[in-house]
This record gives sequence, C-alpha cells and structure tokens, in this order.
Amino acid sequence: MATSTHNPTALARNLHTTLSNHKGPVHVARYAKGSAKYVLSGGQDRTVRLWNPSTGAEIKVYAAHGYEVLSLTVSHDNNRFASSGGDRSVFLWDVSTGQTIRRIAGHMGKINAVEFNDDTSVLASGSYDSTVRLWDLRAQNRQPIQILEEARDAVQALHISHGTILTGSVDGHVRAYDLRMGQLRSDFIGAPVTAVTSAQDGQSYLVTTLDSNVRLMDAATGKMLNGFKGHKAEGYRCRSCFGHGEASVICGDESGTIWAWDLLDAVPLPPTPPPKVHQGVVLWVEHHPTEDGEMISAGADGTVKVWRH
Amino acid sequence: MTSRLKRKLGDLGIDPSSSKANESFCLIGTPLPPLEKSKDTGEFVPLWKQEVRDEKGRRRLHGAFTGGFSAGYFNTVGSKEGWAPATFVSSRADRANKKQARPEDFMDDEDLAELRESRQLVDENEEMDFGGTETEIRRRSSMANALAASLAPSASDSVGARILKKMGWRLGQGIGPRVTYEQRRAQDRNAGFAPDDEDEEAKKHMYPRRDTPLLLVPRKDNSHGLGYTPGMGLNESLGRAGEAKGPHISAGFGLGALNDADDDDLDVYDAALGSERSKRILAYDAIDDDDQMSMGLSRRRGAGNRAPAKSSPTQTFRDGKPVLKGFILSDQPVAEDRWFPLPEVPPGWKPNPRRVWEASANKENEGASKGKQREESPRTHEQWKRSLLSADEVRRAVMTFSQGSLLGETPLPSQPRSVFDLMSQKDKERLANIRTNLTAGVVEQGSSAPPSALRTEVDIPHVHPSVAKAALQGFQPFTADPVKQSRYTAFLHYASAAGDGVLSIATLPGQKTEDFNKELADYAKSATVFKPLSGAMASRFKSAAIVETGPKIIEGLHTPDLSAEAVEEPKPEEEEEDPRMAAVRLGIYGSLTREVAPWQPARLLCKRFGVKDPEVDLGVDTAPTSTDAPSAPGAGADAGTMAPPPLPIADAPHSADGTGDGARAPRNLANVGLGEDDEQGRDTLTYQRPAMDVFKAIFASDDEDSDADEPSEEVAPAPSQPAETTPQHLLVADSATSAGPEVDQKVDLATFKPTFVPRVDRESRKDKDKVKEKSRDKNKKKVAALVSFDDGDDGLQINVSSKKRKEKSKDKDGDRKKKKRKEKKGDGDDDDSMWVEKPAAAVVQNLVLEDLTPLAHPSEVSLEGVAGPPRGRKRAVDFM
Repeated sequence: MATSTHNPTALARNLHTTLSNHKGPVHVARYAKGSAKYVLSGGQDRTVRLWNPSTGAEIKVYAAHGYEVLSLTVSHDNNRFASSGGDRSVFLWDVSTGQTIRRIAGHMGKINAVEFNDDTSVLASGSYDSTVRLWDLRAQNRQPIQILEEARDAVQALHISHGTILTGSVDGHVRAYDLRMGQLRSDFIGAPVTAVTSAQDGQSYLVTTLDSNVRLMDAATGKMLNGFKGHKAEGYRCRSCFGHGEASVICGDESGTIWAWDLLDAVPLPPTPPPKVHQGVVLWVEHHPTEDGEMISAGADGTVKVWRH
Repeated sequence: MTSRLKRKLGDLGIDPSSSKANESFCLIGTPLPPLEKSKDTGEFVPLWKQEVRDEKGRRRLHGAFTGGFSAGYFNTVGSKEGWAPATFVSSRADRANKKQARPEDFMDDEDLAELRESRQLVDENEEMDFGGTETEIRRRSSMANALAASLAPSASDSVGARILKKMGWRLGQGIGPRVTYEQRRAQDRNAGFAPDDEDEEAKKHMYPRRDTPLLLVPRKDNSHGLGYTPGMGLNESLGRAGEAKGPHISAGFGLGALNDADDDDLDVYDAALGSERSKRILAYDAIDDDDQMSMGLSRRRGAGNRAPAKSSPTQTFRDGKPVLKGFILSDQPVAEDRWFPLPEVPPGWKPNPRRVWEASANKENEGASKGKQREESPRTHEQWKRSLLSADEVRRAVMTFSQGSLLGETPLPSQPRSVFDLMSQKDKERLANIRTNLTAGVVEQGSSAPPSALRTEVDIPHVHPSVAKAALQGFQPFTADPVKQSRYTAFLHYASAAGDGVLSIATLPGQKTEDFNKELADYAKSATVFKPLSGAMASRFKSAAIVETGPKIIEGLHTPDLSAEAVEEPKPEEEEEDPRMAAVRLGIYGSLTREVAPWQPARLLCKRFGVKDPEVDLGVDTAPTSTDAPSAPGAGADAGTMAPPPLPIADAPHSADGTGDGARAPRNLANVGLGEDDEQGRDTLTYQRPAMDVFKAIFASDDEDSDADEPSEEVAPAPSQPAETTPQHLLVADSATSAGPEVDQKVDLATFKPTFVPRVDRESRKDKDKVKEKSRDKNKKKVAALVSFDDGDDGLQINVSSKKRKEKSKDKDGDRKKKKRKEKKGDGDDDDSMWVEKPAAAVVQNLVLEDLTPLAHPSEVSLEGVAGPPRGRKRAVDFM
C-alpha cells in the first residue's frame, strides 16, 4: 500500500511507531517547535504526554487536568506549552519540570482551542462560551487583554499568524482579526467549523467543516480556492493540515482513515479510498513542520501513530 | 477544690475525702469537682476510655497499645509462661500428702463465689404479717416491747379461746351446748352432706356441735366486674345453657361468610368435638349412601338455619334459582332508569372542535371591556369587597358588620376600617380631587364611546418604553409568521417611543377591531415575557446564530389537513434561503459570504504582537467609526484627541479662496504609510507631548490654576464668530508652515520657542505682572504661553476670534499677529520643545517678515505645501 517512491506530494503511509499509552481518545497531538523532535499529545484521560516519535518512547506525563485535554500549543522556544480542555482554564506548563506555571481561568465553558502567538507573549483561547480571550503572558494580569465576542457559537479552532487571529466557530464562520488593519473579516462557510489552519504565507487558509468538506480559502478575498471532498466528517473535530511544502492537504476521517489531496487539483492522492489506520475517528493529523516524510495522527482508539515514508 | 481550701479544711480537722465534706449544695450552676477523684464518679466515659478491671483492681484486657497480651500475665493463664507446659514433676513421693481432690480445687474465684451464693438459703417470699411476726416485733423499739412481753401472757391463744377451753371446748368442735345424735344429723343435713350410716349406739350419746364452717372469701385480684367469671358467655351468665356451639374450626384458616365449615376445616385435635362428631356422623366409609348423607346434613343444617329459614322458606327467583342465603327478595319492583332519545345529528355535520374555541376566543376581551365599563365609577373598598361576594355572603357580611351597631355597641376606636380613616383631612380632600378628575376623564371617555362603540375602538395596551426596547433586542416570538413579526416589531417601536409616535399598524383587511385589540394585547404580553435577560445573566448566554422556525403549532384540537400540507411543503425551502447560505450552497464564496468590519485591537495586544496600533489610521480615515474606538488608552487616546475634527477640513469655502489648496487635499487612505506619503511618521514625531491640560491637572497647584484661568477668561468674551475666522487663520498658518523649515534652520530649535500671546492679553498681563510677585511670574508666563500656543484645548478658538476682532479694528496689529501665528504654526509642526523665554518673541518677529514673501506667491506655497503642511494644517485645526 505504501508508496516508497519519493513523490513529494505522496503521504507518508508507513507506520513507524504507535504511541499508545493514552487510556482514552487522543484529542490532540502536536509537534514541538523548531526541529520538532518531540510530540505532545493530550487526551480524554486528562493527561498530556510527551513522546519521542522516532523511538516511540514516552518521556513525560503531565497530569494536572481534571477534565479531558482538548487542545495544546507549544511555545516558540519549546520551554513551555499550554493545554486546555474541560476544566475551563488554560494550563501553562513548564516542559522540563512538568509543573504548571499558570492556570488561567476566565472562560465559562470548556476551552476547545489554545494558541500562542509567535513569541509566546500572548495566549489565545477559544471556548465553548463562544468567546476568544487573549491573555497576556508577559504580565501577571488575571484579566484578558481582550475578549473577542463576535462568535455566535462555540469557538472550535484558532490560528495565529502574521498578526492575524483566525477563529473558527460552530456558527459556521471563520473570523480573521487583522491587527494590522484593525479589521475583522468574517467569512461565512456554512457548516460548523472544526479546524482552521493558515498557510505559511498567510494568503490562504484551510477550513475543515462538519459537512465533510475541507476548503482552501483565500484570506484576502474570502473566495474558495479549492474544495477537498471524499472523507467523512460530520460529527467530530477532525483536523486537517497542510502536507509537506503545502503541496497537499491532509485530513482525518471519522471512519479511521487519513485522506490526502493534491493542493492544486484537489484530487485525492492514492490510494483511494485510503486504508483504515485507526480503530476510531481520526481526531488529529499533523504533518512534521520541516521534514518531508513524517506525520502523526491521533485517534479515538487512544493511539498516536507516527507515519513515515 | 483548690489545694488551699484543702489545706484549710485539714487545719480545721475535716477529712476532705469524707462524703460530708464533698456534699454539694449547688442548686444552680456547676458544682465543684469532688475533693478526691473517686474511682467511679459516675460521669460518662467514652467507650475507648473505659477500663476493665477485675475484683482486685487489676487491669484486664490490655489493648494493643498498652501491651496487648504480653502485658500483665494475669491475662494469660496466670503464669508468665502462659500456656507453656511446666516440666513434669512426679507426685509419687508426696502422694500421701495429697488429699482427696474436691471439686472446689478446680474452681476459680467466680465459681467459688457462685457456690457460696448457692449455699445461702434465702426466703425470698416474706410472708405478710400484720404485726404478729418476729420481724415486725423486732422492728418495734426494743425497750417497750420487752416490757410488754414480760408482763403480758404468752400469746399462744386468744382470750376467748382460753375461756372456751376452760369451759370444756376443744379444738375442732362447735360452740354451744352438746346436742343429741338426731340434732347433729339434722345439722349435717343442713350443712349439705348426708350422714352415712346409722348407729344404734350413737344415739345414746350427746355430741358436740359441728364446727361452723369458716366463710372463706377469696381475694379478688383481677379487674373483672363482681360476679363475672372470665370466659363465661352471656347466656351462661344468665343461667341458660349455651346453644350448641359450631364445630371447632382449626385455627389458621379463614372461612368465608358464606362458606360452611367443611370437614377439612374442622379441628381434628379437638377431643370434645370428636366425640360429638362420632355421635352424629358416621365414619367416612359408612357415608356412601346419598340419602344418609342428605339426611345427616339436613338435620345439621336445619338446626343452624332455623331463624332465616322461617322468613324465607322457599324463596326463589322467577327463573327458579334459589335466593342466596342471607338475602331476601324485595317486594318493591326496581325503579326503572329514564332514557332520553339521542338528538338527531343533522346531515352533513362535521366535528369541528375549533368552532367552540373560536366562539369563545373573544370572551376574555369582552370580559375585560365589560370590566372596564364597570370600573368607571370608582368604589370604596367595601363596595368592591361586597361585589365579590355572592348575595348570600353579602347578607352575612352585612350582618356581621352591622351586628355590633344593632346591638348598640360602640365600634372599637382602635380598629379603623381602612387606611383612609388614618389620613388627614387634607389628604382626603386631595384624594377626592384626584378621584373626581379621574372619574371625569373616564366618564368623558365612556360617554363619548357608548358600549357598542367601545368595541370598535382600538385599545392600545400600555407597554413601558424600557420593556419595549428590551423586547426589541430579545427573543422574537413570531418569527414563524413574518407578517405578525413585522407587526410586532412595529408595535414595539411604537411602544418604545413612549407614545410619541403613531402606531404604524392598523387592522388587517378582514380583521375585526376586537381581534386587533386582542392582537395588540398579545404583543404587549409577549413583550413583557420575551424581554431579554439583564445584567450578568445575559452575558452568560448567546442568542443562537440560526433561528429555527419550527412548524406552526395550532392551538387546541386540530385535525391536520394533509392535502394542504403537501402543498405548503415546498414553500419553506424557497423561503429559508439566506443569500449567504445560497452562496455557500452554490460554492460562491467571496464578497457574498465575507463581512468586513473595523475592529479595534487592544493597544497592549498590538504591542505584544509587535504590530503598530491601527487605531490612528482608523481614526483619521474612517472617521465615524474611529470615534467610538472604546478603550484605546495612552497614546491611542492622545492621538484620538489630537486627531483633527473632520468638520474644519471638509469646510470648502476657505480652501477655495485660500492659497494652499493643493496642500490641503485630504489624505488618501491609499497613501497612508506608503512612500508617497510625505506625512509618514510625522505625526508620531509631533504628537508626542500630550495636552498641557494634563500636566496642569497633575502638577499645577490650585492657585496656579486660578491664575491660569484668568487669561482665558479675559479672552473668553468673544466666542461668536469661530467658523469664519478659522479659515483665514488657517490660510495664514499654511503659508507659515510651508516656510517652516527655513525658519527652523535659522533659529536654534532647542532653545527657541516662539510664543503667541494676543496683545490684549499681553498688556493686561504686563500690568498684572507688575503687581504679582516674582515667583509667580514665571508660572504666569508659562500659562500665557499655554493659552496662546497650545490651544489644542478649547482655548484657541476663542483666542483666534478675539484676535480677529482686533484685526478688524486695528489692521496693523492684526498683521503682526498673523505673522506671529504663522510662525508659531510652523514651529508647532516641526518642533517639540514648546517653551521658550518670552523675550525670544522679538526674534520671531524678525523672522516673520521674511516669511511674508511666500504668502505673496501662492503657487510656490502650494508646491512647498505638499512637502510639510497638510499635516501641519490639520494640526492647527486640531488645536482649535
């Protein structure tokens, strides 16, 4: 099944290791910053785990959450990370000591998404209470810097890049808060948005919605550049991401498969349909930020799988 | 008890541990603790504190923490070794010493105690004595008893008995002279027992009489009535023999009222019954014969059933069935039910429950309107109360009310019937006035609209404007019905205008006024119901993004019309289409699905993101939205206040006649921040110093403030002609600013700061200066400079106008001023240092003369103006 030919757009489909210490669905799995040698994963079992994906070893368990962990974000210097979930506060961790540095409370619902800005001075958190709160990490201020209350329903996805905060909400909108322009551009997508990923250049962004669609939108005009279909995403947050070099689009599927499309012609990459690789829903896929042949996927079966060419 | 008290008691010779010393006389309060802690003070000790001790006071049952089994070997078998067997010792040598083993040898303390106890004979049932027994005698005081006993004869016989004995009486004989044999026999016969034999010899002797039998009265120790024997039936007590009792039914099995006791139910173990039974009924084997059986049964039954059988010997129903036992046939015939024929259903009638519903739909309103009519005449509380009561109750109420007065009682003064009794006469009058006014109004209204006309009048219910406003933002209840919804919002708009507006909705075609009234009432109701949550509660909720318009629910019983539905169905699909949704459906993303709105990021956020605060741009370019930029603190706010008010810029006339028209071209958004923008970065340089007011407010003392106020007051009187004056001054400013840079080169910017002070001010100030002390002088100057230069605050406009006036009167003077102003403008643009010694003004004046030349050549000015001025001009305006 695996294409060992080194087609740059082909997806890494050889199972390298399985990280399976989680005791419930793994909601999120993220690469560290920089050379991305490590993987952080958070799951229903209220823990965050640090892995070495190349050896498959579990390095550390971060257990302080009282509820499920729904979102993770790693600081630019890999010293800290933030996690959030059902306990309505964002936990800021020190990676090496495994202690929480700060617990930021303020949301009134579970927090679906957290994101650092580029230099980890601001933390954005999007919650079920339909607000995005921006927290100052430089000061010990308990109040958020700003609350973005435009969303009419739960905020499911966040992305910060190029001075723009992208939020995806269940009300079917992707809102781009442009700090430079002082502008809020809200694009109506239609179906509940579960994931938003911006391209490197900030010119386009990828939206995953619950109508089994992944759309590539033009950030400047709000036009749809491409639509990616074929997978099934109707009830779960299945995250999509760009493949290596943004030549492809990858998205998990509720039936346990991982789909990949060519970015330009939106044709599913072979094999179609893709083989089932997780027992449950694939809740998160993330491609290695720098390396071509590596990506991870996290599923409801409690495993994080590392794929390589 | 304290040790001191103890010592004292000891000195007195009282044993502190004696019970007398410890006796408590405390009736109230807490007694002192006992002198010596006795073993058992009787106080409550929790279970875990209790100790088990044996009779010798040794502690038993050691807990794990006090040694357990190892503590004190008396807990074991009494030896240190416990159960460890002792070494064998032969008893052969001292066998002789060994006595016979007794059971006591093997007994322990407890057993021995028990044995001792069992040996003791105790007469537990002390006989009752009435003074004759030893114990009773012993109880009496010894001395008197001893005397009496010694004096009195022995108490073996009573006196009577002794006398009788002396007379020849013996124990067991009757009292009296001896009788003959015959007499004795007769006596026996009377007593009830027959003398057995007749003896010839016996007749020859005399016999003592028979002893009179002692009447023994049994002691009554129960609570029954006299003469009652427990267990005796009523008949028995009357002396009659009991009726033949039914067979004994074995216990434990209930028998129905109508069931006869069967053989199985009978108690087999009842002996008496058995014998009786055996008499009556033969053994089972013998009862084969039906006749015998029936005979036996009938006989038995006959005895039991005698009484009822008499009344109904052969009662049978008409069909021949026998009447059940215990029942009698009634003589009276059964009263027949009356039946009424069903009404005829008219042909073609269909059940329509809504008809009733609709018919009664307006009942509420009718009732309400009637109620209103009735209310027209105000009534007293009592009247009102009475009207609520029924006639009967009224009578009763009146009775109770007037009862007192009928009886001639004076009403209790402490019980006023209503609040009105407590009011002063004045208040009462006032109330009466109000009432009459009201009634007049109502009557007027009522009379103008006769009852029939009242129904046709539109009655707009009152909704408080605040409620209406809130309801406008709240849940919209009639979204399913767009027409109704629009009417609802129209009503709310009308209501929120607090009656100022005109109700824009009227009756629908074919709608009755009553229905319209009802509709309005409905709106009013729903407005009060659906106003949104307020305050903290509201912030917790979000209204839904998509309003789901469910199927319309029809009130009451309803037979759904399937055919109509089929027609309606395609409709909602068409209606539902939101243009955005339609676009999404078609995949046309872009302008249709995109909404762009200005957004003000917090300043700190911009700082953290390393992004320039976009607020300034927002403020200049999208003027209307910029003003509401809410919380931009610090520099952002400054920029906001410094930002030129849009009006003067847009003012066309002065630019038309002015020289620097090109320079004054409004800034184009596209140019902002780009290379073509000459102003780029300028405002950040020039706008740094905040308004002087701020400094004043913070640093200036109160008296300084008062000084500062003076000049402005002096200037104040001429605020009348701002609009026209500004442009001219602006023009001047323009030219000045264009020349600005040249000026800058000639004057040392670091030290020089031109100031503009209106002449009048200066003169007046001079006078004042003379008067004032030197220390204040400096402040004064500063203040003056402030007024003149930093007129970004309100002062400037005034200044200018006053100046203008002066110009009109004295042209020459005005000219100078212009120059000065112009000069100042230029400086304001380029220079940050605001404060210079006043004398420098002279230099400025010289400079100004040079600057005048550009004024004469507008074209040049315009060219130069492009470089610096527009911003500068704006600033000038801004300072106004």
